[in-house]
Amino acid sequence: MTRRSLFRRSKVKSAMKRDNQEETINEPKITTDLDENMKTIKDVLGNPADLVVRELIIGEIETRAAIVYLSGITEEDLLNDNIMKAIQQNLKRFDDDLLENIRKEVIAVTDIKNSNDFDDVCLAVLNGDSAFYLDGSQEVLLMGTSGGQNRSIEEPDTETLIRGPRDGFVESMNTNMALIRRDIKIPNLRFEQHTVGGRSKQKLVVCHVEGLAHPELVEEVNRRIKSIDLDYVTDSSFVEQWIEDSFLSPFPQVLDTERPDVVSASVMQGKVGIIVDGSPFALIAPMTFNDGLSSPEDYTQRWLAASSLRLLRFLAAFIAIFLPGLYVALATFHPGMIPSTLAYSIAASREGVPFPAVIEAILMALTFELLHEAGIRLPNVIGQTIGIVGGLVIGEAAVNAGIVSPIMVIITALTAIASFSIPSYSLSMGLRTLRFIALLAAGTLGLYGIILVFIMIVAHIVNLKSFGIPYTAPFGPLYLQDLKDGIIRVPMTDLPRQTAHLKMSDAEFEHAPNEKRKNKKR
Amino acid sequence: MSKSHFADDRIQSLDIMVALPSIVIGVGILSFPSTLAQSTKFADGWVVVILGGLISIFFTWAVTKLGAKFPHQSFYSYASHLVSKPVASIIILLFSLNGIFLTAFEVSMIGFISHQYLFEQTPREVVSIAFFLAVIYAVAGSRSGIFRINLLFSPLIFLISFILIFFSINFMDVDHLLPLFKTGMDGYVEGTIQSALSYSGFGVLFFYIAFVCDPEKVPKRAVAGMSSVVCLYLFIYLTCIAVFGHAPTGEIRWPFIELAQSVEIPGGFFERIEAVFFTIWITAIFTTAMIGFDITILALQMIFPKRDKIVLIFILAPIIFFISLLPKNYMENHYFDIFIGYVSWLLPMIVVILFWIMYRIKGGLENGK
Repeated sequence: MTRRSLFRRSKVKSAMKRDNQEETINEPKITTDLDENMKTIKDVLGNPADLVVRELIIGEIETRAAIVYLSGITEEDLLNDNIMKAIQQNLKRFDDDLLENIRKEVIAVTDIKNSNDFDDVCLAVLNGDSAFYLDGSQEVLLMGTSGGQNRSIEEPDTETLIRGPRDGFVESMNTNMALIRRDIKIPNLRFEQHTVGGRSKQKLVVCHVEGLAHPELVEEVNRRIKSIDLDYVTDSSFVEQWIEDSFLSPFPQVLDTERPDVVSASVMQGKVGIIVDGSPFALIAPMTFNDGLSSPEDYTQRWLAASSLRLLRFLAAFIAIFLPGLYVALATFHPGMIPSTLAYSIAASREGVPFPAVIEAILMALTFELLHEAGIRLPNVIGQTIGIVGGLVIGEAAVNAGIVSPIMVIITALTAIASFSIPSYSLSMGLRTLRFIALLAAGTLGLYGIILVFIMIVAHIVNLKSFGIPYTAPFGPLYLQDLKDGIIRVPMTDLPRQTAHLKMSDAEFEHAPNEKRKNKKR
Repeated sequence: MSKSHFADDRIQSLDIMVALPSIVIGVGILSFPSTLAQSTKFADGWVVVILGGLISIFFTWAVTKLGAKFPHQSFYSYASHLVSKPVASIIILLFSLNGIFLTAFEVSMIGFISHQYLFEQTPREVVSIAFFLAVIYAVAGSRSGIFRINLLFSPLIFLISFILIFFSINFMDVDHLLPLFKTGMDGYVEGTIQSALSYSGFGVLFFYIAFVCDPEKVPKRAVAGMSSVVCLYLFIYLTCIAVFGHAPTGEIRWPFIELAQSVEIPGGFFERIEAVFFTIWITAIFTTAMIGFDITILALQMIFPKRDKIVLIFILAPIIFFISLLPKNYMENHYFDIFIGYVSWLLPMIVVILFWIMYRIKGGLENGK
């Protein structure tokens, strides 16, 4: 599996390289002539409606110049006040190197750089920066004016908490980086920038704390990100699916989150965060099964409550996969195992139901998936309709019409609730798919089939790895220290500072920068 | 994908400690109290459980101590150092045959027990092949994955055993245990052999010790693992005798499962616990079959180093399944059981004695040779 994928990726990559080389032959260049430069950029961008080319004459010097930017993704206030005004009202005269002096003395923007490469200029303009062309100069000033309308920081919709920070990531990468920076005020926090998307050239940032994250882990993450070969990355999930270890597995091997506090906490554990520009979901690698079942709430609540919630979630994961299967197995293969009174009531309620229990269970599971899918697609206003349709029509009417038994409705509802109580949505999706396999196995081999499915699932996840870390980490390869934050969560004072399975060995520790050593002293 | 710091296939001595119970505990324990009750009187079996246990613990120690003298060396490399290459190859071939038979036995046993407790009509072959496919799937994964499966399943196995013992306290009758020491000398000797046979499985340590990153700790850990098995067997044996009495225990085919049938869990949601119990016990049988198969492949890979693991699995799987279908009824399978028991005891025992003698004569292997 891995071999095949690796092969494919490298093949595609070399093909891409060839393409790039061919493209570079007829590359547009920056010349000293302003009009020609304006023509080039208009040609390349296709002179779109949002392209603003403002030609102006610099005060006192009386030289022609132009500012090029895309309206909408640029902060036009900044452009008007600090750049246009300053240039037009310029009173000084410069003798030598006009552009350098304008850069130093006229333009009042902090982020500014020179470039004479057309590709750079084009990319900068597409990113919302403004390009300042001066007649007679082959260099262009790129001014960091990107901005424009962005969603403000809001509470994340998908991972709500009773107690804990309320801010969530937004679509802007700079804001997201700032949110993490605000949480982790240590000099060793690193943001390494990559560009993904062969054509769209989107920004992506890998974030880790040097001295805490294992260097090989960081290197591996960077290596895999460099291997990404996509034309356009809509969301961080594209990156996730490209870099995860086993893309055929139903289990997610990279954690996604909308909460900056989760990323900060993970990064401080020695994990690596990945932020993609344009996506409010950050990625965290490596991920273990246990991570998928933990919520930030586990640390904000007191340990006893937190531990019981953890246990509850492990139970929920079990129910989400196996409950309908168990019901089918008990009802069809081993009715003798159910207490007789319950067995009678099940038999009575199933009277008149035309289908065998397996078909009934699969029907109900499918109906639930349909309701769930429809509920997501509908806007919030009509969303309630789905509740009524689901609750009344499917629940009441189906039972009254004798198509399904009331117990099956209870089982389906319980399974649904259990699958929604799993904090990681992608993990919960995976488990819900496995539920159908468990159902089929239970329908053919009863309890025996269920235990075999259980064994197969275990055999599958013990072989899963997320960036070299075994998926079943604290339990699989046993890390006794980490069990304190495994099925239960011990009191905060006993909690290990950093999970053992992410720690560096002592020899590497000696070479690591200060942060780690300070940690140990404390 | 790449070799990183975390991604190595080395295992720890702790994994050995857990793997040992995983291979020893399988189907043997289900009928174990019955065989002992046939050779000893009343509750005297505890003496032989401990005696047999001590013998197996001793051999476990002997195997691991020898292995620890050759750290990070494969069985083939130190075996050919001690007893020339051809002899080593024959021994390895025997071990792989042993593994084939062990796996086949577990697979066929699943069929027989399932027929008794889970379904009557489903053909035995279907039940066996479903189980065997799961075993193949697990073996096809990485070796460290196999040890992780053991780590995840062994708490489950010990937990379910102790739950069962705990809930049968109500049904125990201390009179069943008395009087003490009524068995004759013959009974003790026979019983000790019987009990020692059910502890078979330490032979796998010959092979796995090469992968351990801290071999010097292995003897202690392996002894601890084996001792935990002896304790579990002792508890189970005493519970069965105390609940059923001496004579009935000898008559029951699988006293440990029947124990589940007789207990009632208060508040009783499940009525026939034995089906649930057996279902969970399948994980114990699974780990035994899985390690048996893995050892076979590991051994054969030493002789045929160029063969791919997957190829070996696909060659061996039909053979093992065919052998597992050979016993036509429970009695034939029982003889199969006795045969397996003797083979998987005598083979490692003879080998370890031979190796120790050769080690005393030839001495250790210097690193790098």
